[in-house]
Amino acid sequence: MPRLDITVEICGMAGDGTIAAGGLLNEAVSLGGLFVLAFDSYPAEIRGFGRCVTRARIGETPRIALEEPTHVLISLDDEQSLSRVPSLASNSVVFFDNRPPSYIPEARSLAAHLGHPTILYGMPMADLAAGAAGTTRGKNLTALGGFAAVFGIPPVLFQRVISKKFQSKGDKVLEANLKSFDAGYEYAQKEFSERLSAPFPFPEAASEGETVLTSGNQAIGQGALDAGLQLYFGYPITPATPIMEFLAQTLPAQGGRVTQMEDEISSIGAVLGACFAGRRAMTATSGPGFALMTELITHGVMSETPAVIVNAQRGGPSTGLPTKTEQSDLHAAVFGGPGDSGRIVVAPTSVAECYSYTLKSFQWAERYQIPVIVLTDFYLDNRVESISPLKPDADAAEDRTLLPDPDAKGPYERFKITESGISPRAFPGMEGFVFKATGLEHTEAGLPSYTPENHTKMSEKRHRKLLSALADLPEPEEFGPEGSLDVGVIGWGSTFGSVLEAVESALERGLKAGALKVTSLFPYHANHIRRFMHRCRAVLVPELNFEGQLADLIGHLHHRDVVRLNRVTGQPIPPTAILKRIEELIGAEAE
Amino acid sequence: MKEEHYVVVGNGPAGNEAATTLRDKAPSARITLIGREHRMCYRPKLLPAYLSGTIEEEGLYALPLEHYQEKDIKLRLGQRVVGLIPDRKELVLDHKEIVPFTGLILAVGGTPRIPENLHIFRELMFTLKTVSDAKRWMKHLREVEHVLMIGGDLTSFAVTQALLDMGKRVAFVLNEESFRPLRSSPEIYEEAAHVLKARGVEVIEGRRVRGMSRLGQDSIEVMVEDKRISTQMVGAFFGLVPDVGFLVRSGLHIESGVLVDETLHTGSEGIYAAGDCAQVYHPALRDYWVSIGHDNAANLGRIAAQNLLGEQIEVRVPAESIFQVDGIKVNTSWWKEF
Repeated sequence: MPRLDITVEICGMAGDGTIAAGGLLNEAVSLGGLFVLAFDSYPAEIRGFGRCVTRARIGETPRIALEEPTHVLISLDDEQSLSRVPSLASNSVVFFDNRPPSYIPEARSLAAHLGHPTILYGMPMADLAAGAAGTTRGKNLTALGGFAAVFGIPPVLFQRVISKKFQSKGDKVLEANLKSFDAGYEYAQKEFSERLSAPFPFPEAASEGETVLTSGNQAIGQGALDAGLQLYFGYPITPATPIMEFLAQTLPAQGGRVTQMEDEISSIGAVLGACFAGRRAMTATSGPGFALMTELITHGVMSETPAVIVNAQRGGPSTGLPTKTEQSDLHAAVFGGPGDSGRIVVAPTSVAECYSYTLKSFQWAERYQIPVIVLTDFYLDNRVESISPLKPDADAAEDRTLLPDPDAKGPYERFKITESGISPRAFPGMEGFVFKATGLEHTEAGLPSYTPENHTKMSEKRHRKLLSALADLPEPEEFGPEGSLDVGVIGWGSTFGSVLEAVESALERGLKAGALKVTSLFPYHANHIRRFMHRCRAVLVPELNFEGQLADLIGHLHHRDVVRLNRVTGQPIPPTAILKRIEELIGAEAE
Repeated sequence: MKEEHYVVVGNGPAGNEAATTLRDKAPSARITLIGREHRMCYRPKLLPAYLSGTIEEEGLYALPLEHYQEKDIKLRLGQRVVGLIPDRKELVLDHKEIVPFTGLILAVGGTPRIPENLHIFRELMFTLKTVSDAKRWMKHLREVEHVLMIGGDLTSFAVTQALLDMGKRVAFVLNEESFRPLRSSPEIYEEAAHVLKARGVEVIEGRRVRGMSRLGQDSIEVMVEDKRISTQMVGAFFGLVPDVGFLVRSGLHIESGVLVDETLHTGSEGIYAAGDCAQVYHPALRDYWVSIGHDNAANLGRIAAQNLLGEQIEVRVPAESIFQVDGIKVNTSWWKEF
């Protein structure tokens, strides 16, 4: 019997409670023991207009990517949901409000766009909510009630998560929401009694706490906390703001401090200042804010000051598409800023990696005395996944700084030339280790120097340090069979989940395909990537950007042009789109 | 140029034949077929065999989904038409959607008729018109041994046979209504009683049902004139009535069905009716008649579609094959199909 693996989508107008309903759905089915991967998409404006969509892939086994098509659509607003029709499976299930406030012409009616075999469940969502709780605001909950009844989801799961969400708002609000849910559930049980679907296969003994629903941003925040973060400086920007919100609630309890600065320049300045003084500090921003930070990031490179900067990418350029996902800051993260300012850039590919990479970034930053950029994107930051509870290594918060030898003779040289490029680092105030720090090119002692010999020597030192760091950074991971491949797919960031799932599907179809996960984007493991490429007749690089920024970065390692698959739709690439390209490439080779 | 949009209401044989004919004759038009049930078009006369388990549900369905895809007919199932505005050429659906059309064929069929005096006992009786009805029968039959059949019509004889095949005990209230819409005759009556008795059915002859009451979860007492009969389930078969309630305020001429002329035209431009819901004018009789049965319905659906597209085909039924039942004139040719 095939295992449950369906995609459920809720779509409505801003203000309909779409995202809230999605959160409750994810929590409820997760509480029952199913695995969830979910992602919200909403307009940049706070409220009032624009489409909100929350998509959840729900299954009996963990999933690594959102997939198309959508199997269930819960429409809270027909007009907004019309755009979702092309992504529906032919035999999808659609819930819609069959008592809208006014008459709707056929051209704007969702039902009119859904012919058989789509299964329609029309229910008076708003009317039921108004009847049960005196307000139509609970129509999202009546819709969830209908969904629960049709798919045999025990109502207690929803009632528990509704209670958890609304208990802090008082009994009246909680009761209204529970009543709205119950009204939808009871209506559907009665009206759809002959059309109830096979119930969701919840495991009989789901033990609570085995998995937790965690967003990428929460995982980043938790990773920073477990790494011993002491100071967070930031300026709000979508999609990075939830990191600051999470830390504002948790960091003070650990003795740390969160400070909202006046802008991104002061944020990175404060982070560098704190790190210079020997504290663990970080900031998080998105493309426009990152652009403002770049000059000071290179100051961190020049002054060899550790820092952790999260760049949660969104659609660009400029303010761009604040609430859409994109992977178009890779070049900015790797190359942004003046001079040869190599820094470490890593890109986690899952919520669990958001945690582990953030945690490790503090260690890399300290060990190599360099800014570390954790490059995520809206799809990764804002998605929730069912993951095992996050646990830090025992030494997660240990300081990795190479300290100067207290018994060393002679004057202290903060930027001493070493084989590894790493110089023993003293903190301001350490007795006997006075040094000068500057953003100007400097000598080993830290004094400004512009001589050709010194600039060459110090440039070599700073880049030698990157080579040392490379040995410490995660190697690319290969998936699929050994030996030659017809198509090798290289993925990074949030797109890798889709890459891996596409390759798994290709292998199931007997195609010779493999995947390479690259998380260390600078410096990167050129030899490893080259070895993988040379096993492949064609190398495919899917990315959520127009230019093919990873393809530009590593494409020269291959003896043939890499094949690019670029999307700038603001939405994740579904595995099916990558699989289709793999099949096309293999078909073309065969011809 | 304005898009031609032909809408057919009703997913039975008349509606499907109409939609298919429209597509064949009007290749570029948009065609929408709206059905109230969520199921694809099926053959109601197979329902007794389905409920006895002789055939599977799949065997009920008349047309595959591919038919509609090939014909580019938009199939909208589970959607109920609640109003018609002929002047504006608009239909109103239950979920407040307005569907504009350039041509419309009403082929909504009928719903089970319950005599007025038994209306208050409706919840105690099982009818058999839809697959949903059959599923209700099947669910309930698991728990019962004895079924009382009342009313009649030829479906009831097929259901009786199905029940016997399932090993149920059956009692049958046999009276003149049992042959609806045919008038009973002593010969028919005698023959039916003989056949039923020979098959082990308890025949309760010449009596009328006056009422019934539930005595327990699986016990119903039925008053048949002065006799009280205890049973576990009551099957009611009193024929069908056209399902045209939604047209009452449309301005179309409605009697028991939609009144149409010999070309199936309702009198409103671009609106035709076909199948069980149409009352067709017969110039020789100077009266209206209704048609029952799959083949007749399909034939009317085809003619309505052709006429909607500009032809002037008249429905021809010999006057002698039409007779009157309960004030309604009925085409007897439906007999042949049972």
